[in-house]
Amino acid sequence: MLEDELTVSTRQREGVAIVDLMGDVTTFAEEKINQAYREVTTQGARQVLLNFRQNDSINSAGIAILIGIVTEVNRNQQKLAFSGLSQHFQKIFRMVGLAQYADIYQDEEEALKHLNSDPET
Amino acid sequence: MNDKTLKGEPVERVVELSLPSKLGYERVAMDAASSLANRMGFHPDRVEALKTAIGEAVTNAIEHGNQHDEAMKVIVLLTAREGELIVNVEDEGKKILDHSMIAREPDIAPKYQPGHVDRGGWGIWLIRELMDEVQITTAPGGGNLVRMVIHLEK
Repeated sequence: MLEDELTVSTRQREGVAIVDLMGDVTTFAEEKINQAYREVTTQGARQVLLNFRQNDSINSAGIAILIGIVTEVNRNQQKLAFSGLSQHFQKIFRMVGLAQYADIYQDEEEALKHLNSDPET
Repeated sequence: MNDKTLKGEPVERVVELSLPSKLGYERVAMDAASSLANRMGFHPDRVEALKTAIGEAVTNAIEHGNQHDEAMKVIVLLTAREGELIVNVEDEGKKILDHSMIAREPDIAPKYQPGHVDRGGWGIWLIRELMDEVQITTAPGGGNLVRMVIHLEK
């Protein structure tokens, strides 16, 4: 009932692999997020957008999972971005260093606009 | 909720939760604290900070203090006073936290290195960063006690 309320799905839009995260990102999220990342990477994704929902929560175990994704993205020479985070979690992502490795956008539209205009990608 | 009125003392409103040591139940504490803080008039950003902090404290109690033993309880006490909310999170102390370890700042850079095993360790640090006052002690009953205070900004 309370263990796992996260749904993870993937889609492609304008050359960006989007991983939609609907629900809380906690220790239960690890396999689902890693699997989604492996899936889009296997499909050849160069740009990955983790798209959160504003009202969902991310705890320290979730942060550790996302740091793991950052290291994989760096190893695979991909570009990572986040969208949909509340102001609170944008602040926390800056505090824990995630914002140094991935750009944070307010929403999917803004992320796609910037990712598609980035000359490095 | 109990109202404790002492002669000449401010009114306290106390909510007590007894949670099983099973991950997921931290949500119950987060929701209860959020509801109370909203009613007290905390700014939405502060409510979010409180939710994160109490979620980390309860998760810590479940995972470390009570070692996932579902028979053990995590007691959460929310005390609403004029101008502040006090949150006590107490476990049964199957494992006593090493206070010298939890006082450390996380070393951020190595956590982003490939092959680094421990990417966690953010919980207590986040609590300290987000709350106005934090004390971590051993409770009289022998468990770990995290006491957090968040002030209602004028």
